[in-house]
Amino acid sequence: MAVRDIEPVVLDLGRLENLAESGYYNPYTMFEWPDAIESELPWMSENLTTLAGTPMWDELTREQQITLTRFEAINFFSLNIHGIRELMSEVVMRIHEHTYANVSEFLHHFIGEENEHMWFFAQFCLRYGGKLYPAQPALKADSGDHFSSVARELIVFARILIFEEIVDYYNANMATDQSLPHIVREINRVHHQDESRHVAFGRMIFTNLLAQVAKRDPDEVPVVAEYLENYLQYSISTLYNPAAYRDAAIPDALALRRRALAHPARVEAHDRVLKRTRRFLSKAGAGREIIK
Amino acid sequence: MTTEPMQAVREFIIGRNPKLDGLSNDLDLIDSRAINSLAFIEFIFLLEELTGESIDPEDLNLDDFRTLKALETRFFTKEAAC
Repeated sequence: MAVRDIEPVVLDLGRLENLAESGYYNPYTMFEWPDAIESELPWMSENLTTLAGTPMWDELTREQQITLTRFEAINFFSLNIHGIRELMSEVVMRIHEHTYANVSEFLHHFIGEENEHMWFFAQFCLRYGGKLYPAQPALKADSGDHFSSVARELIVFARILIFEEIVDYYNANMATDQSLPHIVREINRVHHQDESRHVAFGRMIFTNLLAQVAKRDPDEVPVVAEYLENYLQYSISTLYNPAAYRDAAIPDALALRRRALAHPARVEAHDRVLKRTRRFLSKAGAGREIIK
Repeated sequence: MTTEPMQAVREFIIGRNPKLDGLSNDLDLIDSRAINSLAFIEFIFLLEELTGESIDPEDLNLDDFRTLKALETRFFTKEAAC
Protein backbone atom coordinates (compact mmCIF):
# COMPACT_ATOMS: atom_id res chain seq x y z
CA MET A 1 0.00 0.00 0.00
CA ALA A 2 1.49 3.34 -1.07
CA VAL A 3 0.68 5.38 2.02
CA ARG A 4 4.17 6.64 2.87
CA ASP A 5 3.46 10.03 1.35
CA ILE A 6 0.48 10.44 3.66
CA GLU A 7 0.94 12.31 6.90
CA PRO A 8 0.22 10.27 10.04
CA VAL A 9 -3.41 10.54 11.08
CA VAL A 10 -3.54 12.01 14.58
CA LEU A 11 -6.97 12.23 16.24
CA ASP A 12 -8.17 12.73 19.80
CA LEU A 13 -10.06 9.48 20.31
CA GLY A 14 -9.82 9.15 24.10
CA ARG A 15 -13.54 9.71 24.67
CA LEU A 16 -14.57 7.21 21.99
CA GLU A 17 -12.11 4.61 23.33
CA ASN A 18 -13.47 5.05 26.88
CA LEU A 19 -17.03 4.65 25.62
CA ALA A 20 -16.08 1.50 23.70
CA GLU A 21 -14.53 0.03 26.85
CA SER A 22 -17.30 1.02 29.26
CA GLY A 23 -20.07 -0.06 26.88
CA TYR A 24 -18.50 -3.41 26.01
CA TYR A 25 -20.96 -6.31 25.94
CA ASN A 26 -20.94 -9.96 25.03
CA PRO A 27 -22.94 -10.23 21.79
CA TYR A 28 -22.95 -14.01 21.95
CA THR A 29 -25.01 -14.05 25.14
CA MET A 30 -26.94 -10.78 25.16
CA PHE A 31 -29.69 -11.65 22.68
CA GLU A 32 -32.57 -13.97 23.39
CA TRP A 33 -33.20 -15.63 20.08
CA PRO A 34 -36.80 -16.89 19.80
CA ASP A 35 -37.34 -20.21 18.01
CA ALA A 36 -39.51 -18.44 15.45
CA ILE A 37 -40.79 -14.96 14.71
CA GLU A 38 -44.46 -14.05 14.74
CA SER A 39 -45.71 -14.70 11.20
CA GLU A 40 -48.09 -11.76 11.07
CA LEU A 41 -45.50 -9.11 11.98
CA PRO A 42 -43.30 -7.21 9.51
CA TRP A 43 -39.53 -7.78 9.89
CA MET A 44 -38.69 -4.38 8.49
CA SER A 45 -40.50 -1.09 9.10
CA GLU A 46 -43.07 -0.81 6.34
CA ASN A 47 -42.20 2.81 5.65
CA LEU A 48 -38.58 1.75 5.06
CA THR A 49 -39.26 -0.89 2.44
CA THR A 50 -38.17 -0.09 -1.10
CA LEU A 51 -41.74 0.19 -2.40
CA ALA A 52 -43.09 2.36 0.42
CA GLY A 53 -45.10 5.36 -0.73
CA THR A 54 -45.63 4.02 -4.25
CA PRO A 55 -48.61 2.38 -5.97
CA MET A 56 -46.38 -0.70 -6.29
CA TRP A 57 -46.71 -1.22 -2.52
CA ASP A 58 -50.47 -0.60 -2.53
CA GLU A 59 -50.96 -3.14 -5.31
CA LEU A 60 -49.53 -5.95 -3.16
CA THR A 61 -51.78 -8.13 -1.03
CA ARG A 62 -51.25 -7.82 2.73
CA GLU A 63 -49.56 -11.21 2.68
CA GLN A 64 -47.17 -10.09 -0.06
CA GLN A 65 -46.38 -6.90 1.85
CA ILE A 66 -45.45 -8.84 4.98
CA THR A 67 -43.43 -11.33 2.92
CA LEU A 68 -41.57 -8.47 1.25
CA THR A 69 -40.65 -6.95 4.63
CA ARG A 70 -39.12 -10.29 5.61
CA PHE A 71 -36.98 -10.64 2.51
CA GLU A 72 -35.99 -6.97 2.58
CA ALA A 73 -34.92 -7.42 6.22
CA ILE A 74 -32.79 -10.39 5.17
CA ASN A 75 -31.40 -8.26 2.32
CA PHE A 76 -30.69 -5.35 4.67
CA PHE A 77 -28.85 -7.55 7.15
CA SER A 78 -27.02 -9.33 4.30
CA LEU A 79 -25.88 -5.93 2.99
CA ASN A 80 -24.62 -5.17 6.48
CA ILE A 81 -22.62 -8.40 6.51
CA HIS A 82 -21.05 -7.79 3.09
CA GLY A 83 -20.36 -4.15 3.93
CA ILE A 84 -18.66 -5.18 7.17
CA ARG A 85 -16.57 -7.79 5.32
CA GLU A 86 -15.31 -5.07 3.01
CA LEU A 87 -14.61 -2.47 5.68
CA MET A 88 -12.98 -4.96 8.06
CA SER A 89 -10.56 -6.16 5.40
CA GLU A 90 -9.62 -2.55 4.58
CA VAL A 91 -9.10 -1.59 8.22
CA VAL A 92 -7.20 -4.77 9.09
CA MET A 93 -4.73 -3.96 6.31
CA ARG A 94 -4.13 -0.49 7.80
CA ILE A 95 -4.01 -1.03 11.56
CA HIS A 96 -0.51 -0.40 12.97
CA GLU A 97 0.70 0.94 9.63
CA HIS A 98 2.80 4.08 10.14
CA THR A 99 -0.01 6.37 8.92
CA TYR A 100 -2.57 4.91 11.32
CA ALA A 101 -0.37 4.13 14.34
CA ASN A 102 -1.97 6.89 16.43
CA VAL A 103 -5.51 5.62 15.84
CA SER A 104 -4.77 1.89 16.10
CA GLU A 105 -6.12 1.61 19.63
CA PHE A 106 -9.54 2.70 18.41
CA LEU A 107 -9.23 0.53 15.30
CA HIS A 108 -8.90 -2.52 17.57
CA HIS A 109 -12.29 -1.68 19.11
CA PHE A 110 -13.69 -0.98 15.67
CA ILE A 111 -12.60 -4.30 14.15
CA GLY A 112 -13.77 -6.27 17.19
CA GLU A 113 -17.18 -4.62 17.27
CA GLU A 114 -17.70 -4.97 13.54
CA ASN A 115 -16.96 -8.69 13.73
CA GLU A 116 -19.58 -9.00 16.46
CA HIS A 117 -22.14 -7.06 14.42
CA MET A 118 -21.50 -9.36 11.49
CA TRP A 119 -22.14 -12.33 13.77
CA PHE A 120 -25.56 -11.19 15.01
CA PHE A 121 -26.71 -10.10 11.55
CA ALA A 122 -25.74 -13.51 10.19
CA GLN A 123 -27.47 -15.26 13.10
CA PHE A 124 -30.71 -13.49 12.26
CA CYS A 125 -30.50 -14.23 8.53
CA LEU A 126 -29.64 -17.90 8.98
CA ARG A 127 -32.02 -18.62 11.89
CA TYR A 128 -35.10 -16.98 10.43
CA GLY A 129 -34.42 -16.53 6.71
CA GLY A 130 -32.39 -19.68 6.17
CA LYS A 131 -29.90 -17.79 4.02
CA LEU A 132 -27.93 -14.65 3.27
CA TYR A 133 -28.28 -12.88 -0.04
CA PRO A 134 -24.93 -13.03 -1.85
CA ALA A 135 -22.83 -9.92 -2.32
CA GLN A 136 -23.72 -8.13 -5.52
CA PRO A 137 -21.24 -8.43 -8.39
CA ALA A 138 -18.28 -6.10 -8.11
CA LEU A 139 -15.90 -4.82 -10.74
CA LYS A 140 -12.51 -5.52 -9.25
CA ALA A 141 -10.67 -4.13 -12.29
CA ASP A 142 -11.70 -0.60 -11.27
CA SER A 143 -9.25 -0.08 -8.43
CA GLY A 144 -9.32 3.71 -8.25
CA ASP A 145 -5.88 4.07 -9.88
CA HIS A 146 -6.86 7.50 -11.18
CA PHE A 147 -6.88 8.89 -7.62
CA SER A 148 -3.79 9.98 -5.68
CA SER A 149 -2.73 7.64 -2.89
CA VAL A 150 -4.09 9.98 -0.20
CA ALA A 151 -7.42 10.32 -2.05
CA ARG A 152 -7.64 6.53 -2.23
CA GLU A 153 -7.19 6.40 1.55
CA LEU A 154 -9.87 9.06 1.94
CA ILE A 155 -12.25 7.06 -0.24
CA VAL A 156 -11.69 3.88 1.78
CA PHE A 157 -12.75 5.63 4.98
CA ALA A 158 -15.47 7.65 3.24
CA ARG A 159 -17.06 4.45 1.93
CA ILE A 160 -17.03 3.04 5.46
CA LEU A 161 -18.58 6.24 6.85
CA ILE A 162 -21.28 6.45 4.17
CA PHE A 163 -22.18 2.79 4.59
CA GLU A 164 -22.45 3.23 8.36
CA GLU A 165 -24.50 6.43 8.17
CA ILE A 166 -27.01 4.93 5.74
CA VAL A 167 -27.37 1.77 7.79
CA ASP A 168 -27.73 3.85 10.94
CA TYR A 169 -30.71 5.72 9.51
CA TYR A 170 -32.52 2.40 9.21
CA ASN A 171 -31.27 1.10 12.58
CA ALA A 172 -32.34 4.23 14.45
CA ASN A 173 -35.84 4.06 13.00
CA MET A 174 -36.33 0.32 13.45
CA ALA A 175 -34.92 0.29 16.99
CA THR A 176 -38.10 2.00 18.21
CA ASP A 177 -40.69 0.68 15.73
CA GLN A 178 -43.18 -1.13 17.98
CA SER A 179 -44.73 -2.95 15.03
CA LEU A 180 -41.56 -5.04 14.65
CA PRO A 181 -40.71 -8.26 16.52
CA HIS A 182 -38.66 -7.72 19.68
CA ILE A 183 -35.51 -9.42 18.34
CA VAL A 184 -35.54 -7.19 15.23
CA ARG A 185 -35.80 -4.05 17.36
CA GLU A 186 -33.00 -5.29 19.61
CA ILE A 187 -30.56 -5.99 16.78
CA ASN A 188 -31.22 -2.55 15.31
CA ARG A 189 -30.91 -0.89 18.73
CA VAL A 190 -27.60 -2.52 19.64
CA HIS A 191 -26.12 -1.77 16.23
CA HIS A 192 -27.28 1.84 16.37
CA GLN A 193 -25.62 2.24 19.77
CA ASP A 194 -22.19 1.05 18.55
CA GLU A 195 -22.40 2.79 15.21
CA SER A 196 -22.77 6.22 16.76
CA ARG A 197 -19.13 5.88 17.92
CA HIS A 198 -18.01 4.52 14.56
CA VAL A 199 -19.70 7.38 12.74
CA ALA A 200 -18.03 9.92 15.05
CA PHE A 201 -14.64 8.33 14.30
CA GLY A 202 -15.44 8.12 10.59
CA ARG A 203 -16.20 11.82 10.40
CA MET A 204 -12.97 12.71 12.20
CA ILE A 205 -10.75 10.60 9.97
CA PHE A 206 -12.61 11.81 6.86
CA THR A 207 -11.94 15.43 7.82
CA ASN A 208 -8.25 14.71 8.42
CA LEU A 209 -7.71 12.90 5.12
CA LEU A 210 -9.80 15.39 3.13
CA ALA A 211 -7.55 18.19 4.40
CA GLN A 212 -4.55 16.21 3.19
CA VAL A 213 -6.11 15.72 -0.25
CA ALA A 214 -6.94 19.44 -0.51
CA LYS A 215 -3.44 20.41 0.59
CA ARG A 216 -1.78 18.16 -2.02
CA ASP A 217 -4.07 19.14 -4.90
CA PRO A 218 -7.28 21.18 -4.37
CA ASP A 219 -8.44 20.20 -7.86
CA GLU A 220 -8.79 16.58 -6.74
CA VAL A 221 -11.48 17.44 -4.18
CA PRO A 222 -14.32 17.86 -6.74
CA VAL A 223 -13.31 14.54 -8.33
CA VAL A 224 -13.57 12.87 -4.93
CA ALA A 225 -16.92 14.62 -4.34
CA GLU A 226 -18.24 13.19 -7.60
CA TYR A 227 -17.14 9.71 -6.60
CA LEU A 228 -18.82 10.06 -3.20
CA GLU A 229 -22.10 11.26 -4.69
CA ASN A 230 -22.06 8.24 -7.01
CA TYR A 231 -21.30 6.04 -4.03
CA LEU A 232 -24.29 7.44 -2.14
CA GLN A 233 -26.55 6.59 -5.08
CA TYR A 234 -24.96 3.17 -5.46
CA SER A 235 -25.45 2.39 -1.77
CA ILE A 236 -29.14 3.26 -1.92
CA SER A 237 -29.61 1.14 -5.04
CA THR A 238 -28.26 -1.98 -3.29
CA LEU A 239 -31.33 -1.93 -1.04
CA TYR A 240 -33.43 -2.66 -4.13
CA ASN A 241 -32.60 -6.32 -4.61
CA PRO A 242 -34.56 -8.08 -7.37
CA ALA A 243 -33.90 -11.39 -5.61
CA ALA A 244 -35.96 -10.15 -2.64
CA TYR A 245 -38.84 -9.20 -4.96
CA ARG A 246 -38.66 -12.64 -6.57
CA ASP A 247 -38.63 -14.34 -3.16
CA ALA A 248 -41.76 -12.37 -2.27
CA ALA A 249 -43.35 -13.75 -5.48
CA ILE A 250 -43.64 -10.30 -7.04
CA PRO A 251 -43.46 -10.59 -10.84
CA ASP A 252 -41.13 -8.67 -13.20
CA ALA A 253 -38.57 -8.04 -10.47
CA LEU A 254 -36.09 -6.11 -12.63
CA ALA A 255 -38.68 -3.82 -14.18
CA LEU A 256 -40.21 -3.27 -10.76
CA ARG A 257 -36.81 -2.36 -9.36
CA ARG A 258 -36.20 0.13 -12.16
CA ARG A 259 -39.61 1.74 -11.69
CA ALA A 260 -39.29 1.85 -7.91
CA LEU A 261 -35.81 3.42 -7.93
CA ALA A 262 -37.03 6.25 -10.15
CA HIS A 263 -40.40 6.83 -8.46
CA PRO A 264 -40.68 10.40 -7.06
CA ALA A 265 -41.77 9.10 -3.64
CA ARG A 266 -38.66 6.93 -3.51
CA VAL A 267 -36.37 9.73 -4.69
CA GLU A 268 -37.73 11.79 -1.78
CA ALA A 269 -37.16 8.85 0.57
CA HIS A 270 -33.55 8.53 -0.66
CA ASP A 271 -33.00 12.23 0.03
CA ARG A 272 -34.27 11.74 3.57
CA VAL A 273 -31.90 8.81 4.16
CA LEU A 274 -28.93 10.73 2.73
CA LYS A 275 -29.73 14.15 4.20
CA ARG A 276 -27.44 13.90 7.23
CA THR A 277 -24.50 12.53 5.23
CA ARG A 278 -24.89 15.06 2.43
CA ARG A 279 -24.99 17.87 4.99
CA PHE A 280 -21.77 16.58 6.55
CA LEU A 281 -20.03 16.25 3.17
CA SER A 282 -21.07 19.77 2.17
CA LYS A 283 -19.89 21.23 5.45
CA ALA A 284 -16.58 19.39 5.11
CA GLY A 285 -16.15 20.82 1.59
CA ALA A 286 -16.79 17.66 -0.42
CA GLY A 287 -20.51 17.98 -1.20
CA ARG A 288 -22.11 17.39 -4.60
CA GLU A 289 -22.38 21.14 -5.22
CA ILE A 290 -18.63 21.33 -5.98
CA ILE A 291 -18.73 18.64 -8.67
CA LYS A 292 -17.46 20.12 -11.95
CA MET B 1 -37.17 1.03 -22.29
CA THR B 2 -36.25 0.85 -25.97
CA THR B 3 -36.85 -2.34 -27.86
CA GLU B 4 -33.39 -2.30 -29.48
CA PRO B 5 -31.10 -3.82 -26.85
CA MET B 6 -27.76 -2.43 -28.02
CA GLN B 7 -29.33 1.02 -28.23
CA ALA B 8 -30.41 0.64 -24.59
CA VAL B 9 -26.85 -0.36 -23.68
CA ARG B 10 -25.47 2.73 -25.46
CA GLU B 11 -28.03 4.98 -23.76
CA PHE B 12 -27.09 3.57 -20.36
CA ILE B 13 -23.39 4.28 -20.91
CA ILE B 14 -23.90 7.74 -22.40
CA GLY B 15 -26.43 8.61 -19.70
CA ARG B 16 -23.86 7.87 -17.02
CA ASN B 17 -20.99 9.51 -18.88
CA PRO B 18 -22.30 12.78 -20.31
CA LYS B 19 -18.71 13.98 -20.82
CA LEU B 20 -17.79 10.92 -22.90
CA ASP B 21 -16.33 12.01 -26.21
CA GLY B 22 -17.69 9.41 -28.61
CA LEU B 23 -18.67 5.82 -27.94
CA SER B 24 -17.02 3.55 -30.49
CA ASN B 25 -17.61 -0.17 -30.69
CA ASP B 26 -14.01 -0.77 -29.65
CA LEU B 27 -13.75 1.61 -26.69
CA ASP B 28 -12.54 -0.29 -23.63
CA LEU B 29 -15.48 0.44 -21.32
CA ILE B 30 -13.67 -0.82 -18.23
CA ASP B 31 -10.27 0.86 -18.68
CA SER B 32 -11.94 4.13 -19.72
CA ARG B 33 -14.19 3.82 -16.63
CA ALA B 34 -17.26 4.37 -18.81
CA ILE B 35 -18.56 1.46 -16.71
CA ASN B 36 -17.04 1.78 -13.26
CA SER B 37 -17.43 -0.35 -10.18
CA LEU B 38 -20.39 1.72 -8.93
CA ALA B 39 -22.29 1.42 -12.23
CA PHE B 40 -21.50 -2.23 -12.77
CA ILE B 41 -24.39 -3.71 -10.81
CA GLU B 42 -26.90 -1.49 -12.61
CA PHE B 43 -25.36 -2.56 -15.90
CA ILE B 44 -25.70 -6.24 -14.99
CA PHE B 45 -29.37 -5.72 -14.12
CA LEU B 46 -29.91 -3.90 -17.43
CA LEU B 47 -28.35 -6.79 -19.36
CA GLU B 48 -30.47 -9.29 -17.44
CA GLU B 49 -33.59 -7.34 -18.25
CA LEU B 50 -32.69 -6.99 -21.93
CA THR B 51 -31.74 -10.64 -22.40
CA GLY B 52 -34.32 -12.13 -20.03
CA GLU B 53 -31.56 -14.30 -18.59
CA SER B 54 -29.87 -14.12 -15.20
CA ILE B 55 -26.14 -13.51 -15.02
CA ASP B 56 -24.27 -15.51 -12.39
CA PRO B 57 -22.03 -13.07 -10.47
CA GLU B 58 -19.66 -15.93 -9.68
CA ASP B 59 -19.20 -16.65 -13.35
CA LEU B 60 -18.42 -13.30 -14.95
CA ASN B 61 -15.80 -12.96 -17.66
CA LEU B 62 -14.68 -9.34 -17.63
CA ASP B 63 -13.71 -9.52 -21.31
CA ASP B 64 -17.40 -9.96 -22.18
CA PHE B 65 -17.98 -6.44 -20.82
CA ARG B 66 -14.97 -4.62 -22.24
CA THR B 67 -16.40 -3.28 -25.51
CA LEU B 68 -19.77 -2.79 -27.16
CA LYS B 69 -18.66 -5.35 -29.72
CA ALA B 70 -17.90 -7.94 -27.03
CA LEU B 71 -21.21 -7.21 -25.29
CA GLU B 72 -23.16 -7.67 -28.49
CA THR B 73 -21.41 -10.94 -29.26
CA ARG B 74 -21.85 -12.34 -25.75
CA PHE B 75 -25.36 -11.21 -24.94
CA PHE B 76 -27.23 -10.30 -28.10
CA THR B 77 -26.00 -12.51 -30.93
CA LYS B 78 -28.07 -15.60 -31.47
CA GLU B 79 -26.13 -18.63 -32.62
CA ALA B 80 -26.79 -19.30 -36.30
CA ALA B 81 -29.51 -21.84 -36.83
CA CYS B 82 -28.36 -25.12 -38.39
